[in-house]
Amino acid sequence: MAEDYIVELKGICKRFGGIDALKDVDLQLRRGEIMGIVGDNGAGKSTLMKVLSGAYVADEGEIWVNGKHVHIRNPQDSSNLGIGMIYQDLALFNNFDVTKNIFVGREYTKGPLGMFLDKKRMNKKAEELIKELKVDIKSLRQSVMTMSGGQRQMVACARAIAFESKVLIMDEPTAALGVTEANKLLGLIRNLADSGLSILLITQRIPDILAIADRVFVLKGGQRQGVLNVGEITLDDVVSLIIKGKDNSVSQPVDVQYKSFG
Amino acid sequence: MTDQRHSDGQGPATGDTAAATAPASPQGRGGLSGVNWGVLRKYAVVLVLLLLVLLFSLVNPQFFSGRNFYNIVTQNTYFIIVAIGLAFVLISGGIDLSVGYQMSLVGVIMAMGMTKWGMPVWLALIVGLALGTFLGLLNGVIVTRLRTFPLIVTLATSVVFQGVSYMISKAGTYRSYPQSFQDITKLRLLGLPLDVYLTVVIIIIVSVIFYQTKIGTRVVALGGNEEALRLAGINTKRFKMLIYTTCGFFTAIATIVMVSKANSMQSSFGPGTEFTALTAAIVGGVSFLGGEGNIPALVAGVFVLAVLGNGMQLAGWSSYAQFIVRGIILLGAVAFDEYQKSLRLRTKHR
Repeated sequence: MAEDYIVELKGICKRFGGIDALKDVDLQLRRGEIMGIVGDNGAGKSTLMKVLSGAYVADEGEIWVNGKHVHIRNPQDSSNLGIGMIYQDLALFNNFDVTKNIFVGREYTKGPLGMFLDKKRMNKKAEELIKELKVDIKSLRQSVMTMSGGQRQMVACARAIAFESKVLIMDEPTAALGVTEANKLLGLIRNLADSGLSILLITQRIPDILAIADRVFVLKGGQRQGVLNVGEITLDDVVSLIIKGKDNSVSQPVDVQYKSFG
Repeated sequence: MTDQRHSDGQGPATGDTAAATAPASPQGRGGLSGVNWGVLRKYAVVLVLLLLVLLFSLVNPQFFSGRNFYNIVTQNTYFIIVAIGLAFVLISGGIDLSVGYQMSLVGVIMAMGMTKWGMPVWLALIVGLALGTFLGLLNGVIVTRLRTFPLIVTLATSVVFQGVSYMISKAGTYRSYPQSFQDITKLRLLGLPLDVYLTVVIIIIVSVIFYQTKIGTRVVALGGNEEALRLAGINTKRFKMLIYTTCGFFTAIATIVMVSKANSMQSSFGPGTEFTALTAAIVGGVSFLGGEGNIPALVAGVFVLAVLGNGMQLAGWSSYAQFIVRGIILLGAVAFDEYQKSLRLRTKHR
């Protein structure tokens, strides 16, 4: 029932050179849910999300958004479908202030043929977004270079939700944050989901997922291992699936080594 | 009318009336934390210009005269136009070392067209502009296709353009153009030749492009973070080609002014302009690494070099001595750029 899901990925494959980064991956995202995407380094989490955001194009497979088969060839296509992604490296412009960072690539314009920037409208919208996200940014004209990790994350967030996004992809948003900032951000993500946004959250911090996500999607070696309902599981269940995979195989020495770390 | 540069983390630049009109900007953090580097950097070049004028006026009474200022302005219009074209490339994070030989090639074709091949003036102008634009596009295509350093690419194309220019001109000189072509720089309106007006119009249009349009914003964005711009949905390759093409177009306009003014053209006219334009741009606050720059300061940068050259000439310095000074200025400007960047980072981590 494709209509039940806002995003559906079917049989996604992506190869880099001779390496299969993603092998026949299926994913279904429900409306208004937060789905955690977990897996070890190199499991294919970011690659899968980049396929959805248009940064990569899948070699095989289909993408369905709102029950419609779509083709995402570049970030613009994805953004037009209402999918916003916040990248791990943030993809911010250090030489720009808050407003410009939010609007680069999708500027409001006015005048004949939309020749001129509508700075008034952009500033107003930016102010609204910052208020909505409850960020303590002193001035919209502050350069993002001078901001803390949390503030930068918020600017990236504002950028991603500024354009009627329906799906938000976040790549390790809490990775570089302190405890307080991370908790604040997690609260914000939950609020966004409660207000109707569907969120895909990549993270290495599984407790984060257990705290705010509805379901968790586990990848290993570029393959889907399973989807767990957060209400029914413990940390160990997730870790075990990440390390052992669905076949429960610990035959490879690499896995054993990981286990001792886990 | 927001500021193009990233240096005003300290809040709205106090001298920037544009900043004051931004309705949604709350109070900045004020200048209590010390020097506002954004403002200092923006006006440093104007300050340097005024100091130089003062210095040379004291040294040489001939310097401070209407006649001399008229010369300084009219002799530098085409440098300003080249520097503006180059600014698009520099601010976007690239560089074009070939503008000098673009001028050589475009100039030779136009001059020979009018004097040897019987082209009417309008046709020669169109051919010149089209050729310049094409040479810019060529640079853009190579830079984006080879995905390599534009410094090397444009150094290579520069040598190619040089070869083509000399082959076509056979190292000859072509002079005496139709009156209407000479009029571009000789006909005066209210005491000033037409090319001065042309230059002012270009300065205004390009300033508007940089401060008021999305194209300008994206040029600066490209210089700030290319990958982020791509992820924002912009075809950065095509955009880069457009930027190099724009540079070629402005270089062609500058060539027309240069040839008209000299009323003579040979393949050695033009080369060297790239150095002056590059130095002026960096003196004028365009970052060598891209992502910042503003057009009025760039124009002031051209005049800093012009006044310096003029003053040294009046003081009887040889042109070789002037080369040394120009080289040192470029080094100094780059060093200043780096220095104030490191200061800014230090402020951040404080």
